Amino acid sequence: MFIKIFKTFLCFFYVGALYSETILIKNATIYDGVKNIPFEGNILIENEMIKRVSSTNMQADFVIDASGMIVTPGIIGTDTNIGIVEIGALSVTRDDSSKIYSIGFSIHDAFNPKSTLIPWNRSNGVTSALSLPQGTSSPIGGLGSYFLLDGEFDITSNKDIVMIGSVGGSSNKSRAETYAVMDDLLSFASSINIRDLSSDADIAELIEASPIAEFMELHPRDVRALFKLINDNLPLIISTHRASDILKLIELKEKYNLNLIIKGAQDASLVASKIAESNTPLIINPINNIPGSFDELASNIQMASRLEREGIDLMFNTPRSHNFHLVRQGAGVAVANGMSYETAISALTSTPAKVFNIEKRGEIKSGYFADIVIWDADPLEPSSMPEYVFINGKSIDLTSRSSRLRDRYTSQPEKPNTYRD
Amino acid sequence: MTNSKKYLVLFTLFFLCFNLVLTAKPFESTYKPLPSVNVLIKNANIYDGEGNELLQTDLLIKDRKIEAIGKDLPVTNDFEVIDASGKWVTPGIIDIHSHMGVYPAPGVRTSSDGNEATSPVTADVWAEHSMWVQDPQYTLALSGGVTAFHVLPGSANLIGGRGVTVKNLQRNTINSMKFPDAPHSLKMACGENPKRVYGNRQQAPSTRMGNIAGYRKAWIEAEAYLNRLNEYESKSDEAKEMGYKPTRDLELDTLAGVLRGEILVHNHCYRADEMASMIDVAKEFNYKITAFHHGVEAYKIADLLAENNICGALWADWWGFKHEAYDMVQANIAIVDQARGGTGCAIVHSDDAIGIQHLNQEAAKALSAGIRAGYDISKARAMNWITSNPAKAAGIYDQTGSLKVGKNADVVIWSKNPFSVYALAETVFIDGGLAYDRESGFYPSSDFDVGIINSNKNRLEE
Repeated sequence: MFIKIFKTFLCFFYVGALYSETILIKNATIYDGVKNIPFEGNILIENEMIKRVSSTNMQADFVIDASGMIVTPGIIGTDTNIGIVEIGALSVTRDDSSKIYSIGFSIHDAFNPKSTLIPWNRSNGVTSALSLPQGTSSPIGGLGSYFLLDGEFDITSNKDIVMIGSVGGSSNKSRAETYAVMDDLLSFASSINIRDLSSDADIAELIEASPIAEFMELHPRDVRALFKLINDNLPLIISTHRASDILKLIELKEKYNLNLIIKGAQDASLVASKIAESNTPLIINPINNIPGSFDELASNIQMASRLEREGIDLMFNTPRSHNFHLVRQGAGVAVANGMSYETAISALTSTPAKVFNIEKRGEIKSGYFADIVIWDADPLEPSSMPEYVFINGKSIDLTSRSSRLRDRYTSQPEKPNTYRD
Repeated sequence: MTNSKKYLVLFTLFFLCFNLVLTAKPFESTYKPLPSVNVLIKNANIYDGEGNELLQTDLLIKDRKIEAIGKDLPVTNDFEVIDASGKWVTPGIIDIHSHMGVYPAPGVRTSSDGNEATSPVTADVWAEHSMWVQDPQYTLALSGGVTAFHVLPGSANLIGGRGVTVKNLQRNTINSMKFPDAPHSLKMACGENPKRVYGNRQQAPSTRMGNIAGYRKAWIEAEAYLNRLNEYESKSDEAKEMGYKPTRDLELDTLAGVLRGEILVHNHCYRADEMASMIDVAKEFNYKITAFHHGVEAYKIADLLAENNICGALWADWWGFKHEAYDMVQANIAIVDQARGGTGCAIVHSDDAIGIQHLNQEAAKALSAGIRAGYDISKARAMNWITSNPAKAAGIYDQTGSLKVGKNADVVIWSKNPFSVYALAETVFIDGGLAYDRESGFYPSSDFDVGIINSNKNRLEE
């Protein structure tokens, strides 16, 4: 009852765009996101931030008694198209590809904070997400951005914080060609000097002087992105599966000092020690044990636990951004098959924050943004749901289009459906 | 006996045999079960697939059947005893919507055999003739407790062909996997897929109204064909000899099988309005729809489905991949189940080689969404969604789908309550034969898995 009344209060504050001064989440079982064993404690939120995490009692304007409830950092979606794709098969609702740009294509300006994927995913515990473009014609290229899923038109984002790429089995070319193109592009990127980027005319000269840049008809935007990749050590997510490809990419990482992250990596357990030695983080889908192609024959349900044993930094994804929250189910399956619970939580929270340099998020820690989920039960059970979701210290309304449709068809049967709420 | 008489007898025998061969159905099941084991599972918590939860109960498997269920069944030397204290036992899980074998792994062009997308009506094709028996995915489904599954053609066509129900026991021929005496099904598809596939070719159907016209035309032909067959069959033997036997038509054979009630209709359909239209088509031609598949909007017409005795074979939460899958409600399955005073038929299906391994988790999600929507549904009832209800929809409920004395011993022992993500299927029996045992590492490997990464190991060996 108290909780319900409290929710009404929060709603009022939310709608009124007011902040309560301080909120205390009391007696919670806290998983802080960084592999520590859970502890009973209190979290004090002040404005946007976590002011204090402590086992001692604190005073606040509003108090949530979270006794017996698990509290985690908000889930960070590491590999989504949230905000840039509304309906998969409907191209007019897709903003994840470009016909003109390749390497420098940024999806940032397409982001729709009113996408229905946002309320649905955050009501399931996802509070922010990295949205990535589709692969481009170039084996390296396309820029992803990080977005807070608060649904505000005043978007909170980290623009173009990651580049993507892919290599592997293909119906029309050898992967050897892909590696040659990658090598040429990275070599070209390494040769760029900041002085060469002062004007588009200068960049055009650079392109003319580089056979690969000219052949690929790169634009100044693409060249600037390549420069940023090397100069800013931008995280580079390459999708690949086969063990031999993983090793080849590690070679490239070492040659060009890349900030490499490998995505997919279904064969990773075959070369786990090499991945660990090279300090390459992985984004894997721990529930996927299908040998879906000849590149992913080693797919195995125990993959996550085997990689954890090697000390590799792991993050989780799922192929469907509409239900990106189902990474929780994948994480639960990983735990059922031998992974530690704390590492599974960190794969959804602090590890992506660390790998993608997302500052002050992904952990429950004083001085961090208050992106916090209070769960009605174990968050890795897919049947659990959040009771509360905080983004930047604000309690988020957990209503979604889906919950509205449910209510419409489970109440007011006396009215025609279009006249129901 | 004179020689000539001998020859006459021989000839007659030969003729009779030949005739029998001619009239025998082709592609009959040649399934042979695994070696039978007699097992007493002691002290298990049981969901029986009939809506009951039986705590600390014993289950006896004998001669391939469920021999007894009860408290403190006597231990004798004739039975191996498994102590299942703290564990859970369920019927074998059944998936009513799978494309394993017709879209096997690895997913390559050369074995993607699920859609005969060359004409909008291909009732003549049978999924079993596409199924690759070496698909490595069957074993993965077995590790999730799946003992039988129903494989359908894809949804490119209005009428895509016959589906088949198989035992999850990988064999070298498809006939030896076919579930004995299971009826065939007919795959039909509404909505975006057929109109997109053929519309893109400037061919009918290119609209939803074109879809409906396409089904009706096919059923009109089927009715006429069936009338011709019935007319011929009703003639005296003499008259049959005088007249012509109607020429056999593979496509119309299948459709006539539906009109005769021998083949079960499984209809891919997302939108509520389209499902309602399909019910009208079925009424017009007097056939029954066994289940709507995918039915993301089934909750909007749950009462209509219950009144017409049509199951909803649904996902727990898939949505958004296309427009007709936009209105997802997680309580969909529960709403269908609870329609008309709990007389609805809900099935959790996978349509996915990963999902089929975790149907228990999918049911758990659907159940919790139902409870949040205010329904009072027990776990024992939700277990029906992945056992007895799909068994009914596949026409094999008389043989399997629940733990009833006398039924086939298709049994799963789970490490924990199967509605938890942490529960693993530990031991799986199919027809009272041990098919899978996690602890001892006993599981089948397809030929595809042999030596494919390291030549001295199978694919999943560490």
